Amino acid sequence: MAERGAGDRGGFGRGFGRGRGDRGRGDRGRGGRRGGRRDEEEKWVPVTKLGRLVKEGKITSLEQIYLHSLPVKEHQIVDTLLGGRLKDEVMKIMPVQKQTRAGQRTRFKAFVVVGDSDGHVGLGVKCAKEVATAIRGAIILAKLSVVPVRRGFWGNKIGKPHTVPCKVTGKCGSVTVRLVPAPRGAGIVAARVPKKVLQFAGIEDVYTSSRGSTKTLGNFVKATFDCLMKTYGFLTPDLWLETRFSKSPFQEYTDLLAKPTKTILIENTERIEA
Amino acid sequence: MDSDTNDVLPLQELSLDEAITEVELEESYEEDEEDELEEYVTLGTIEKPKHPKFLLRHLFPSKTGGTPAWLDPVELPTGKFSRCDFCEEPLQFLLQIYAPIPEKESTFHRMLYVFICPSMSCLLQDQHEQWKRREEDPRRSIKVFRCQLPRLNAFYSSEPPRKDGNDKPLSVGAALCSWCGTWKGEKVCSGCKQARYCCEKHQAMHWKSGHKNRCHHIIHNLESISSSLPGEKLSRDKVACSSLWPEYEIAIEDECAYDAEASEDASYEASSLVTQHVTDDTYQFLLDKFEADDNKRSWASFQERISKCPSQVLRYSRDLMANPLWPLSIGRPTMTNIPKCKYCNGSLCYEFQIMPQILYYLGVKNDSDSLDWGTIVIYTCLASCEASARYKEEFIWVQLYPTTPIS
Repeated sequence: MAERGAGDRGGFGRGFGRGRGDRGRGDRGRGGRRGGRRDEEEKWVPVTKLGRLVKEGKITSLEQIYLHSLPVKEHQIVDTLLGGRLKDEVMKIMPVQKQTRAGQRTRFKAFVVVGDSDGHVGLGVKCAKEVATAIRGAIILAKLSVVPVRRGFWGNKIGKPHTVPCKVTGKCGSVTVRLVPAPRGAGIVAARVPKKVLQFAGIEDVYTSSRGSTKTLGNFVKATFDCLMKTYGFLTPDLWLETRFSKSPFQEYTDLLAKPTKTILIENTERIEA
Repeated sequence: MDSDTNDVLPLQELSLDEAITEVELEESYEEDEEDELEEYVTLGTIEKPKHPKFLLRHLFPSKTGGTPAWLDPVELPTGKFSRCDFCEEPLQFLLQIYAPIPEKESTFHRMLYVFICPSMSCLLQDQHEQWKRREEDPRRSIKVFRCQLPRLNAFYSSEPPRKDGNDKPLSVGAALCSWCGTWKGEKVCSGCKQARYCCEKHQAMHWKSGHKNRCHHIIHNLESISSSLPGEKLSRDKVACSSLWPEYEIAIEDECAYDAEASEDASYEASSLVTQHVTDDTYQFLLDKFEADDNKRSWASFQERISKCPSQVLRYSRDLMANPLWPLSIGRPTMTNIPKCKYCNGSLCYEFQIMPQILYYLGVKNDSDSLDWGTIVIYTCLASCEASARYKEEFIWVQLYPTTPIS
């Protein structure tokens, strides 16, 4: 077998070859660049078309993505669009165990809720061998799952929307959570767990009612989240007007940004309610 | 929503058969970890070249964008090979890598070139064609060529280049098209007899964009474009076409060098998604919400792997055991989809793959007809055979992202 030493090729470059010397021995190669891991984290190279559009700045708000139901595959997209307003909180770290031949294998399951207290909330669950990894992974998953939350009024349409627009209910496992609109000043009338989620969503007043084994935090949180997802799925009379569809950002982003008219109906409703 | 679909209750006493299935899963999961550690992958990252002249062909560069540095400068691919089979336009140069195989003499110098038609509609049609068997002569809009030379050859000296600015190849190559600078310029401008073109379309574009005025001057003043002999221009003048992608060098790094920083935890989303012992209606309902779980799993592993080095544009691993890193689970080829070598009928093996990050660096626009892919995987002849054609065509597989539901 030919020796893979430098003498074989003389000064010719190696190019992309097999096995440059030892395998995986932490060959530093071009040193210096990997000094700060921070550096790499800041420099996000988008992998999807949507990511490239967001990085360029052609898409300025999450609503444009929601309008066309585009799947968000990179969490940096949400980071760029929501920026510093997004806060996260670890709801619970749960150790889960699994029986193996050599005893029990413990991993940690992290539940993380992210939100900007202004109509966007996300929930992430991740299981990993270390707590820090689980939390990090859960935050990324939470950012990927950010959904818009529709808010409405209890009675008079004065000021900004502060409560859910109607009674909605969500279910996960045996837990059902029901959200009922409340007048201003009522506050979030809920247990500690869904109260956190609702605070992150930006709902100020709401009555809740729950049923089932709410002790299982995972199901409880998911049920509340499911409930919030449904707020935009509910057809109310002000949405009876037929939507005029607009072009997706992949077709022509300039069109979307330029036209200030009523073509985008959801944004219009928010304007009325606001 | 990417969250888990079931809860695992802590310290639960598992029933016997559940324990058995879990143990089985555990075992296969561990094996996956082993495989990952053994794979030896070289990454390519984009770098601005120190000087454009370092990307000339006698320095055997690995580069992307701009014009190709042809290894064999005389017998370039022509005709059907240089054009997209759907729109008949000449293909545009995407990248080339220098990948010699030190074990064989005939592959002392070995270059792989990838050309792609810049139109997305051609790439979508190409998707259907790549599934066809070779006998049906599929039409492609993306092509890869391999060229190899022994150490002693007619074009370059057997001594390594000194890289001091004075290196030159042994002979002058064929003249290239004045518009794209990529393909052989076989047709000559009838006016000035200096400008050469690979096809009529390029001649028309060059004429419109300025040659109309200069053609006249060239005939009369003979203020020609540098050389008087018909041949290749070695200086890196800008070619007339402005839509070529920006030129970069591809730097070579080992993936394992990044491993030390990456977290050692290799648990996939897969494990939590796969263990199933809750089978009531709500589980099914949640499962229906997350369509294509397989896809999500592949995507999660893909993201994890590339996060070690987010700026990678190329992954190289010429090994029989190596598997490419697929972003999605749909659209993957099986053994039957990969044909045999066109020239020696031997089997093909995976060599390298192009990542979508390269689109960001090349500044590809994001309109509806601009290029976008999940990954492009190249399979080459295992024996790296010699054949009469200097530029041998290899097999290329494109995995696209599924199109969005409303568009």
